[in-house]
Amino acid sequence: MNPLELTLGIMTAVGGFVDISELVFAAKAGSTFGYALIWVFAFATVGIMVFSEMSGRVAAVAKQPVFNLMRHRLGLKLGLLVLAASVISNLITCAAEIGGVALILNYLTGAPYLLLAVGMTAALIVSIWVLPFEWIERTYGLLGLFMIVFAVALVVIHPPWHQIAGGLVPQVPHGLSTKEMLTFGYFTVAIISAVMFPYEVYFYSSGGIEEGWSPKDMLTNRMTSIIGMGLGSLLAISILASSAQLFGPANVDPEIPGTAALQAAIPFGKWGLILALLGMFFAVAGAGVETCLANAYSIAQFFGWNWGRHKKPWEAPRFTIAWIVLFVLALAIVLTGVDVMTLVEFAVLFSILVLPLTYLPLLLLSGDKKLMGEYANKALAKSLGWLYFAIVTAAAIAALPLFFLTSGGNG
Amino acid sequence: MLEAEQHPSGWVEARMLRVSLAFLLLCGCSSGPQSDLQYIKQARSIAAEWAEVNQQASHGNLTATYVGSMHEWLRDGAQTSVTSLTEPDSSYGKEMKALLAEPDDAAPAALRAHADSLKQIEDKLESA
Repeated sequence: MNPLELTLGIMTAVGGFVDISELVFAAKAGSTFGYALIWVFAFATVGIMVFSEMSGRVAAVAKQPVFNLMRHRLGLKLGLLVLAASVISNLITCAAEIGGVALILNYLTGAPYLLLAVGMTAALIVSIWVLPFEWIERTYGLLGLFMIVFAVALVVIHPPWHQIAGGLVPQVPHGLSTKEMLTFGYFTVAIISAVMFPYEVYFYSSGGIEEGWSPKDMLTNRMTSIIGMGLGSLLAISILASSAQLFGPANVDPEIPGTAALQAAIPFGKWGLILALLGMFFAVAGAGVETCLANAYSIAQFFGWNWGRHKKPWEAPRFTIAWIVLFVLALAIVLTGVDVMTLVEFAVLFSILVLPLTYLPLLLLSGDKKLMGEYANKALAKSLGWLYFAIVTAAAIAALPLFFLTSGGNG
Repeated sequence: MLEAEQHPSGWVEARMLRVSLAFLLLCGCSSGPQSDLQYIKQARSIAAEWAEVNQQASHGNLTATYVGSMHEWLRDGAQTSVTSLTEPDSSYGKEMKALLAEPDDAAPAALRAHADSLKQIEDKLESA
């Protein structure tokens, strides 16, 4: 197996895990609750591994993207509802990523934020237009690996490893007031949502088809899901743990994404800061590309259009127009002046509401013996799939009340 | 007989919608120190983040561009927190305005003092 084949998983995971929402929630979770939320990351990581593996398997065996099958399975009306909810959720997420990437570039260059948002949107459009799919993956996936500086920074600051290991055990901290308990609940739900963002699955399965996966690529699919998502999770947990160590005692609950970069600057100085900002830049830009393409994939697959970046842009004209228009719409949201942090909160909230609608059809399709034959879900995939489906459904029900009761996690 | 069974279909949904709207209105229209708590927390964190940035800048760990941008965003965040207060003339409102009056390159100790004062107010409100 060529290691470069893993770049789809790395891009999906680095862009999915360490996107702008994760930077904010991981850092805030660590400063507010110490190491007590690490287990939520670990738990949700297994969930996204399970569902991305399923979506990759469906892509490899049925050679059909998830949304195409979803329309046939759910019918037009329910399928349209899922499509509309996903498009709104992904569009808000894409806007948050564009705002985030402009913000990070502002920390690096000092140029005006809104100008950078316009410039970056144009640059992302050009990069998707010009680069073949494999190079989109490699560019954003591999350059996003600058984020590893966060994991190295954590090692260098000598954190209490036994407490970090203890954070892997499911727990609710003792002695929390009712309000703090609700905030802990909100963070739990938000982390599940941010780790299991629906666009990751749409992008991953469509990417598998772009790469021409077949049943012989089952090992690649499994390894990509596990290694890619595992790496993303490791980076997110590093940010959380550094935040618990450095920010919690200093009364910092990162209010702006740039504060996270201090985690690398404190041990490594200017070069640590620059590497962290570059890693954040490529990871968030990759997430912007993922969310936008995931949206265009969903729309094109649902309506049966020609789609894919393995085709020349003019060979799939409606798909091409869709992703360009979606980028422009996301930019328009940013240009209204809405705060990036507000966009992040809405992105996470909308995504959790969409999660059950995304994962139920996938669970049914991947378990369908007529469609999948010998590759249908076995007992482990089936059990884990239904367990995580129950959890995301419970999280979706709790999300709105928790959001309002805790003012979006701000107490 | 259950209440819902005595009413035409859609009654339960309508009632749930009304309850939800009332809940949202309650969340959105409350005022006073408790509803200001989230802005006090934001301002406290901004003061602490600002102190950390200035501390690291004084050690030569940050680029001038990053420091300039962070000052701009932190000041913007502090300004938003102050203007969102329902009681701007309260003790915490005054503390937040004092934070905003600090120069960009204020001493980390001075900024931490604002963070500590706001933290005390925050803790008092949370335990009330």
